[in-house]
Amino acid sequence: MSETDVQPERISGVVGDRIAGAVLLVLAVAAWSYSFNFTAGFMQPVGPGVFPRLVCVPLGVISLYLILRPGFNQRWPHRAALIRQGCALALLTSYGAFLEPWGFLPASLVTVILLIRLFGARWKPALVCGAVLTVGLYGLFEFALGMPLPNMPGLDW
Amino acid sequence: MDTLAFLAQGFAVAVEPQHLFLALVGCALGTLIGSLPGLGPVNGVALMIPLTFNFGLAPTAALILLVSIYYGCMYGGRISSILLNIPGDEPAMMTTLDGHPMARQGLGGKALGLSGVASFVGATVATIGLTLFAPLLVGVAIQFGPAEYFALFMLAFATIGGVTSGSLSKSFIAACLGLLLGTVGLDSVSSVPRYTFGWFEIYDGIDFIVALVGLFAISECLLFLEDTRHSDKPTLKLGSALPGMRSAWQCRSTITRSSFIGFIAGVLPGAGAALGSFLSYTLEKRWLGRHGKFGQGDPRGVAAPEAGNNAAAGGALIPMLSLGIPGSGTTAILLAMLLSMNITPGPLLFEDQPEMVWGLVAALFIGNVMLLLLNIPLVGLFARVLRAPGWFLMPMVVMVAFVGIYSLSNSAFDLYMMLAFGVLGYILRKLEIPTVPVVLGLLLGGQMEYNLRRAMSISSGDWDILWSSGISVGIYAFAATLIVAGLLFNWLVKQSR
Repeated sequence: MSETDVQPERISGVVGDRIAGAVLLVLAVAAWSYSFNFTAGFMQPVGPGVFPRLVCVPLGVISLYLILRPGFNQRWPHRAALIRQGCALALLTSYGAFLEPWGFLPASLVTVILLIRLFGARWKPALVCGAVLTVGLYGLFEFALGMPLPNMPGLDW
Repeated sequence: MDTLAFLAQGFAVAVEPQHLFLALVGCALGTLIGSLPGLGPVNGVALMIPLTFNFGLAPTAALILLVSIYYGCMYGGRISSILLNIPGDEPAMMTTLDGHPMARQGLGGKALGLSGVASFVGATVATIGLTLFAPLLVGVAIQFGPAEYFALFMLAFATIGGVTSGSLSKSFIAACLGLLLGTVGLDSVSSVPRYTFGWFEIYDGIDFIVALVGLFAISECLLFLEDTRHSDKPTLKLGSALPGMRSAWQCRSTITRSSFIGFIAGVLPGAGAALGSFLSYTLEKRWLGRHGKFGQGDPRGVAAPEAGNNAAAGGALIPMLSLGIPGSGTTAILLAMLLSMNITPGPLLFEDQPEMVWGLVAALFIGNVMLLLLNIPLVGLFARVLRAPGWFLMPMVVMVAFVGIYSLSNSAFDLYMMLAFGVLGYILRKLEIPTVPVVLGLLLGGQMEYNLRRAMSISSGDWDILWSSGISVGIYAFAATLIVAGLLFNWLVKQSR
């Protein structure tokens, strides 16, 4: 699905798959036991907890299999990449938080410019493209599609 | 001929000026999105679903627009496979084998023209097949009760390993994870909240559009952030696309064979487009291997997988439309589109809303012709999109995803949910756990559980009802056969390497 598929940088998944298997096994057991809290209604041969339990059984069994027989993983990111990804997630999370209080235009402008910087562009193209993208999206949604986006506080039109 | 009359009606719906215009817009937009390097058809369509809702179109019009985008993306995907050696999705992988060498010899235009014609023939064969066979399958499926439907869902999940090329056990894990996520929210029968932990935002369940955009588009961006120095894109001389037409005529027998092989591969549940393009390429190579230069830019090596891939994509629509069970990753996305418009595919759809089904089929025919007309002369224009730098494309994808999702519900919660699914999708992809089965589980889980519980209330709690009818036993046997065949096929491929 991506470029990494063309030249697969595959590594042994002994660590990654075992961690994933363990997490999923815990999830399966937890979901199984939690499902007993779903009280069955009147006149229902199969209550709300049965189907989740039915799913948890194969999930748990195959997770166990994954722990015992780990497969392959893609190469995990290096530290610089992890930092970039972390910054992008932090940026987007704060975008979600600031979108409504600040309004669409200022929040998006700041986010897009910083995002383009994170993706490796210089300041000048980042500022220009960020502004174009923000205004373009605003125009598309606010005027062409008629979908109201959050306005800047005090600037209602 | 009932079918023909319905189809004529469908064409009458599809050629209304507004619908034709939407089909044109959708095809062009889809080709554009599909040709974006690294984004791929599945990610592209996933991104466009929330946007399309904002147009405020009637259901049929929206359906035509989305289907055109979907078909356009499938067409556009081959552009980056051939010119950049970057397949947008798994089925396109085989096209790179001979397509990229052709492009390096300066025959990129010819390869694109040829693959355009091959895609057109493959898709048309499949659409004709869909017209002929879907009503037959509907005739059988109309007799299905809840127990048979439950068996059908079991079949869909048992054969899911064929959809993705990765490990079988990891596909099953992904499917179980999706099914479990699908149970989150208020239970539809008893209204008991399940796994909501007091969060009112998820009482309606996890919105699969939010999950879809996160799993595909956002995770793609996180993947891109690993290495931002993607800028070294060689600009290859394109050449004219017109020689591709003549080349297609020379490859006519290859295209015909591959279209039929692809179609059959597509109809089989779980096989999907990847098998279609893989089978047609390898068979063609074995058939003509001595007379051709496969792997070094043989035109037939471009024609075979493209015809097979598009025929399979069309063939996979048969189980999806008539049974409600998608056979491939991309049809899963199409199913998500339909469900998001409150259209539940299945035999009842053919009975209750024939104008919708046949309008869709007619739209497929028209979209195909439009794509051929758009692609031969304008391929140079689309190829120019490939030069757009990643630092602009990826932030644009993120922003379109954010605004699209936000406009659906106007809640920041959905944005966080989308980010969480983006991280989940990224981790799953790193673990080589496929993400398509997660979406399938999320999509089909509700229906699967509903049918199980209906069957159980008919039998008043006797589990034997699930395997008491001949049809359901047959479906389970078919599922078992396909799993064994899949394992055998994988083993054979491993041996031949």
